[in-house]
This record gives sequence, C-alpha cells and structure tokens, in this order.
Amino acid sequence: MRSAVFDGVVLGLQYGLLGVGLTLIYGLAGVLNLAHGQIAVLGAIVVALTIDAGVPAFPAALLGIVVAGAFLLLLELTLMRAVYRQEGERRVLLGLLLMLGIAFVIDGFLVWRYPIEQLGLRIGGDAVPILGVRMTTGSLLASGITIAAGLVLVVFFRSTSLGRGVRSVIQDEEGARLCGVSPAAARTLVFAMSGVLAGLVGVTRSMTSPIGVNNTISFTILALIVAVVGGLGSVSGAFLAGVLLGVVDRLSSFYIGTYVTTIVLLLCAAITILARPSGLLGRPT
Amino acid sequence: MILRVSGLSAGYAGKHVVHDVTLEVAEGEAVTIIGSNGAGKSTLFRAMLGMLKTATGAVDFDGASIRKVPTHKIARRGLAYVPAERHLFPQMSVIENLQLGAFPGRADPEVERLVFGLFPRLAERRKQAAGTLSGGEQQMLAVGRALMSKPKVLMLDEPTTGLAPRLAAEAYEALATLRDGGLTLVVAEQQVPMALELASRGYVIENGRFELHGTSAELAGNPDVQRAYLGVA
Repeated sequence: MRSAVFDGVVLGLQYGLLGVGLTLIYGLAGVLNLAHGQIAVLGAIVVALTIDAGVPAFPAALLGIVVAGAFLLLLELTLMRAVYRQEGERRVLLGLLLMLGIAFVIDGFLVWRYPIEQLGLRIGGDAVPILGVRMTTGSLLASGITIAAGLVLVVFFRSTSLGRGVRSVIQDEEGARLCGVSPAAARTLVFAMSGVLAGLVGVTRSMTSPIGVNNTISFTILALIVAVVGGLGSVSGAFLAGVLLGVVDRLSSFYIGTYVTTIVLLLCAAITILARPSGLLGRPT
Repeated sequence: MILRVSGLSAGYAGKHVVHDVTLEVAEGEAVTIIGSNGAGKSTLFRAMLGMLKTATGAVDFDGASIRKVPTHKIARRGLAYVPAERHLFPQMSVIENLQLGAFPGRADPEVERLVFGLFPRLAERRKQAAGTLSGGEQQMLAVGRALMSKPKVLMLDEPTTGLAPRLAAEAYEALATLRDGGLTLVVAEQQVPMALELASRGYVIENGRFELHGTSAELAGNPDVQRAYLGVA
C-alpha cells in the first residue's frame, strides 16, 4: 500500500509534467493540443535513435527535448497562424482538428519507421530506501528533474517580467497589449516551452519504464485528464492534479487491477467537471 | 506636437464610426474630448492605438507615424491608454498589475512611489487581487499601471465611468496633479464640467465627427455645449 502510494507520486509527477504542457497552450491560445503525447514520444524516439548512433545519453536527451520544442515552435509559426485568424468556436474547433491531424501524422510516421524503437534510460545505482520503501534511482532522478522543472516554471511565471507578461495575456489580452506585451510573441514562447516540457516527459518517463509508439495516445489522454482536473491554465493545478491522479492510478491498479485505471482516471475527470468545472486550482471565468 | 491625428476614419466591419478626425496635442498639455455615449470616443482611441484594422488617415506620435505599428509597440513607445473597461488582470495582485505596466522592464521604484503617493489606497491593497478591488480602486490601479510605463502621453477613456461623484472628483484631483507635474493628458469624457476644468482645450465629438473645438473657457461658454453637456437650459 505504501509503496503503491510512493509509486503513484513518482508517476503523478510525470502526469503533472504532461498536463502542464497541455494546459499552458490551452490557457494562452485556446488550442487543445491533442498531439501532446505524440510529441513527447517523438522526443523520446529521437533520444533513442541518437543513443543508438553512439551518442552518450545526456546530450542525446537534450537533443530529443530540443527537437520536441522545435517541433511545436515550427507548428506555431506556420499552421497555427491559420487557426488564430478564426474567432471563438471556429478557432477551438479548427485548433482541435489541426492538432488531431498532427497527432495522426506523428503516430503514422512512428508506426511506419520506428514501430519497435523504444527509449528506456537505465539509471545505475542501488535502490534507495525512503520511509521503508525501496525507490529506484531512476524514479528518484525522474522525480527530481520533474520537481525542478515545476519549480522553474513557477518561478518563471511568478517572478520574472516575461513570465508575468505571458500570464497577463491569459487574463486579458487587450490589457496585455496596452502594457506593451505582444500576445503573438507570448504564444510562440509558450508553444516552444510546451514542446520542451513534452520532450522532458519523454525523457524522464523512460527512466522508470520504456517508451515507444504505443504510449502516444495514452499520454495525450492523461495530459487532457490532468489539465481538466487541475484547471486549464494553471501550472500548480496541473502538478497537484498529476500527483493526485498518479496516486489514484497506482492504488486502483493495486486494489482493483491495471485494466481499470484509465477508467478510474476518466471518472475523476468527469467528477471534477461536474463538481468543480474550473478544476482544482483553476479560477472560474 | 507630440501627438497629431489627421483625417482619421475608422470603425468596425467596414462601417466607419469615426469620420475624418483631426486632433493635435502639444507636450505638457491637457486636452479633453467631449462626447455622449456612442459618439465615437472609444473608437477614436482604439483606432489611434492600432486596434482597428479598417482605420485610414494619419497618426503621428513623438515624431513618427504609428499608423502601422502594433498596439503593444505603441504602448512601449510611451503612448499609454486607460480604457473605460480598464482591462486589468483580475487574478493578479495590485503590485503585479503595476509591475506589468513597466513591461518589459522592471518597475522603477521611484514611479512606484509616485503611484502610491497619488493613490495611497493601492499601497494598502498591494497584495490583493485586482478583481476584488472596488470600482474606484480599479480605476486608480488602471491609471497607476499606465503610469508605471513612464508614458509621454496618457490617454484616458471616461475615467469616471461607474464611479460615485466623490470618487470621480478624487480621480480628477489625481489627474490634475499629474497635469501639474508636466504629463501630457488626453481625456475623453461625458462628465463635462470636470473635464473642462482639467483641460486647457477641448474637442466636441458627435456622431463620430469633431463638431467643435476651442479652449475650455470657450467651450464652457458655448450655448450648445451648455445645453447638451452642462445641464444648462
């Protein structure tokens, strides 16, 4: 039971990192990135191929993260422009369809070229007992990196001028413009950040279990659930929801069975929508 | 002239709301634009700030044309605008709203002192979310945020909208202090007596056109203005 909770926290931090990337783009651009999990796996495959080519793990991981960031950045600078020209419902729908299309393209490409390629970063060292639960160094490192990334995000958004500028666009685009903030530049920045975060999930998740093309859809669905439960647009909400859902995930697979976990998580999202539509830490609009 | 608008026409969806407006503001001057609801005051401001794609005409600010410059760059050049709807960041604290006024730089502590000196209430509520402030406090914050950018010209659209008479008077006292400090002001108003007292010159806008122009004394003495805006029968 205790080890299931600990596993859940480790897993949940990954869920949080997945959700943050999705929630940021939604908050800023009103686009639900249905290719988020695909981009995370794309980054992981790049890392795996680079390692296969003989490059050490650390630079290979950095390359994979940069590629994931660059992918979303390019997408924002090109295809998304057509989405921004639309308003309201049309924008949401077009964004949704575009990202769904991108998801299919990535999935198709990976299945075609790299159907069995997997990234599994093995971190050496003995398991470390924490409160009587033996934690692998891989899961500890993955959690450490994720917490660090979360803290960097919080500091960026709370305490830097640029981060405040991005938040201002989420709250009032016209007010942001009047303060000298460029909403277009903020969106570009956030897409690149979200891609980097997706790539980072691909890397850290592979420290505890191998990642391949089979993970794309479940990553996207998890990111969606986490973002909904945490409150769309909230960074700390995504991490809180991620950890809670990670624990729910492990406990339900421990007590009921692995086959029901996704259903239980979806139930959590449904209950959140009914009881608190703006999410745990999202503010009602 | 720090701000010069000539032959500006603008509107929404191809229909012009503002027609052929010409406006000049000298440095250090306080100018008012008087007009009733729907006369085109907000549209005029929005067109000047590059928020309306359909605008035609010339807008020069601080020696350069800003007709094709995006809104956020106009703001950075020192043309600050406080819209009637204020457009604050409701979930951010007072101090964060002020800090954003100084974007992309850091808030200048001296300007911050000036803002808190002008509006002591904001200093008391610096940690409070902007959305929870009263209407009067929100107006103060909107003006304070605009001041944080150290603007060359401050434009305000109906700064007393929704304010009780006492608060409206306080808002105008603050604007008078800023005017006396040498800040260039452009104020659009329906509250004509206060606006004419603040400004040295004024324009009257009706149905999107500038119908009258003169010193504040001339406008206050004009029978049409008295009838329409000063409640003189």
